[in-house]
Amino acid sequence: MSTRDEVANATGEAKSWVLPVIAAALVVIVFASINARELDSIEARLLSGEEILARVGEHLRLVAISTVAVILLAVPLGVLLSRPGMRLLGAPVLAVANAGQAIPSIGILVLLAILFGVGIWMAVISLVLYALLPVLRNTMVGLKQVDRALIDAGRGMGMSARQVLVTIELPLAVPVMLAGIRVALILNVGVATLATYTNAGGLGSLIESGIVFNRMPVVLAGSILTVALALSVDWLAGVCERGLRPRGI
Amino acid sequence: MSDVMIRLDEVHKRYDGQAGDAVAPLSMEIREGEFVVFVGPSGCGKTTTLRMINRMVEPSGGRIWIDGRDVTDVDPDELRKHIGYVIQQVGLIPHLTVAANVGLVPKLLGWQRDRIEARTAELLDLVGLDPAAFGGRYPKQLSGGQQQRVGVARALAADPPVMLMDEPFGAIDPITRARLQEEFLALQRRIRKTIVFVTHDVDEALRLGDRVAVFGEGSRLVQFDTPLGILTNPADDYVRDFLGSGAAVRRLGLLNVGDLRKPEPADRLPLRVSSGDSVHSVLERMLRDGADRVIIEGESTEDDRELTLRELLMAGSAR
Repeated sequence: MSTRDEVANATGEAKSWVLPVIAAALVVIVFASINARELDSIEARLLSGEEILARVGEHLRLVAISTVAVILLAVPLGVLLSRPGMRLLGAPVLAVANAGQAIPSIGILVLLAILFGVGIWMAVISLVLYALLPVLRNTMVGLKQVDRALIDAGRGMGMSARQVLVTIELPLAVPVMLAGIRVALILNVGVATLATYTNAGGLGSLIESGIVFNRMPVVLAGSILTVALALSVDWLAGVCERGLRPRGI
Repeated sequence: MSDVMIRLDEVHKRYDGQAGDAVAPLSMEIREGEFVVFVGPSGCGKTTTLRMINRMVEPSGGRIWIDGRDVTDVDPDELRKHIGYVIQQVGLIPHLTVAANVGLVPKLLGWQRDRIEARTAELLDLVGLDPAAFGGRYPKQLSGGQQQRVGVARALAADPPVMLMDEPFGAIDPITRARLQEEFLALQRRIRKTIVFVTHDVDEALRLGDRVAVFGEGSRLVQFDTPLGILTNPADDYVRDFLGSGAAVRRLGLLNVGDLRKPEPADRLPLRVSSGDSVHSVLERMLRDGADRVIIEGESTEDDRELTLRELLMAGSAR
C-alpha cells in the first residue's frame, strides 16, 4: 500500500471517530438534562426510557424498511437503464426520480394519507420516493465510469454480457453505489421524522407531542436524538462502506 | 488439419449511415504457427479487421474460417474462449489478483481449481513473473510492462491456438517495449501460436512479423509479404512512403552475412549528393542504389568532390 493511501486511510479513520463521539455526547446531554429537571406528568410520560426506546425503534424500522426498498428498486433499475439499448430511457427515468426528490415529502405524505389512509406503509412509500434518486443516479454513474477497456477485455475473453456485469462492472461500481446508499440512508433518517403525520411513530412523534403539549424539553429531546441517530447511522454506513469496497481498487 | 489456421474470405465491414466500407472486402490466409502483423496508419481498418476475427466486431459480410471451421455464425462467447485476446490497455480486472486474472478463462471453461492454479503458475513463469511473488498482487501494484506480461499470460491461459493482439506494447515506454518484443519473440518460438498482431509502428511490424500486412487509406490491403519482401520490393509508393526513410538500412537488419552471395561486377554510376546531406542519408541511398562512390556537388562543377564508399566509411568512422 502506498504512503498516500495510508495517509488517506488515517484521515478517514480519524474522521470516523468524530461522528460517534458527537452522537454519544448529544445523547448524554439529553439524558443528563432530563434527569436534572423536575418533569411534569406529560414530560415524564413522553420522556420515559421505554417511550424513547420505542420511538427510536420505530424510527430505525422505518429507515431500514425504506432503505432496503430503495436498494431493491433503484439498483436493478439503475443496472437495467445502463444496459446498451436502454440508455435512452435513462434521462426520463432520472427526471422522474428528480421530481420525487424535489416534491416535499410532507406533501406526498399528506397526499397519500388523504388518498389511502394512514399507516406505516404510507410513510415508507414517501421515504422511498424521496431517497430513490441518489441510489439510482449513483448506480448509473458507477456503472458508467467503469473503464470500457475492461469490458472489452472481458467480452474478448468470452464472457457473456451478464458475466461481465457480475464479475467486472458491478464490483467496480460498488464504491459509488455505496456512497449513494449512504446518502439515501441519511435522508431517510431525517425525513422519517415526518412519518408521525401518518401515525407511523418515530422520533417525529416525540417532537410533535412536544409541540402539541407545548413542552419545549420534549421537542428538544426529539430533535437532538434525531441528530444523534443520523450521525450514528452515517458513521455505521461509513464503516460498512469501507468494509465492502473491493480490494485492489 | 489443414495448414491454414485463419482464412478470411471477402470479409468486410460497413457501419450504418456511413459512406464507404470501414473495411473493404478482404481475403487472406494465415498459416498455422505464423506471426502476422497488420500495420497501417490510424483509421485504416486494421483493428476492425482484427476484431472481426473474434467477432468483437460483427462482419457485414464474408466468411471467417478458423482451423478449418467456419466460425462466422457460431456463438461468439464460445468462440472467444478459444482465441487469446490482448489489448493495448491490457484490461486486467483491478479487483482481482494477478492469479485470478490469469485464471479467468479456465474458470469460464469450468476447469478444476487445482488445475487452474497449476496452469496459472506455469503461465506466470512463462512470461517471466515469479508466481509466488506476483500471483497474490493486484494489477495496480505492477508496472506497465509487468501488467502486459500478465495480459499475455491471461490470453494464453486456455492454450488457444490463435492469439489476437491489438497494439499490446503501444502504451509501454520504448526500453521496456523493446525488451517485451524480444521476450515475446522468444516465447513465440517455443509456443508456436498463430498470432495476428496490430500495430502502427513499422519497426515493430518488421521486427516481429513472419509476414506483414500493410493496410492503406480506404481500408484496403496494399501488400502482404515477409518483412524482407516488403523492404526489398515495396508494392507501390504508398508502401515506400509508409516504410519511410532508412528502408535499405532496415533491410540489412533482416539479412545475415552468411546469406549474401558475391555480386556480379558492374559499373555503377556515382550518386550525386549535396554538401548539406547527412552521412547517414547518403549511405542509405548508396545502399539502396548499390553505388560505390558519391559526387558531392559544390557551388559550381569545378568544386565537385568525389568520395568512394571506403573513404566515406573511414571519414565517418568513430575512430
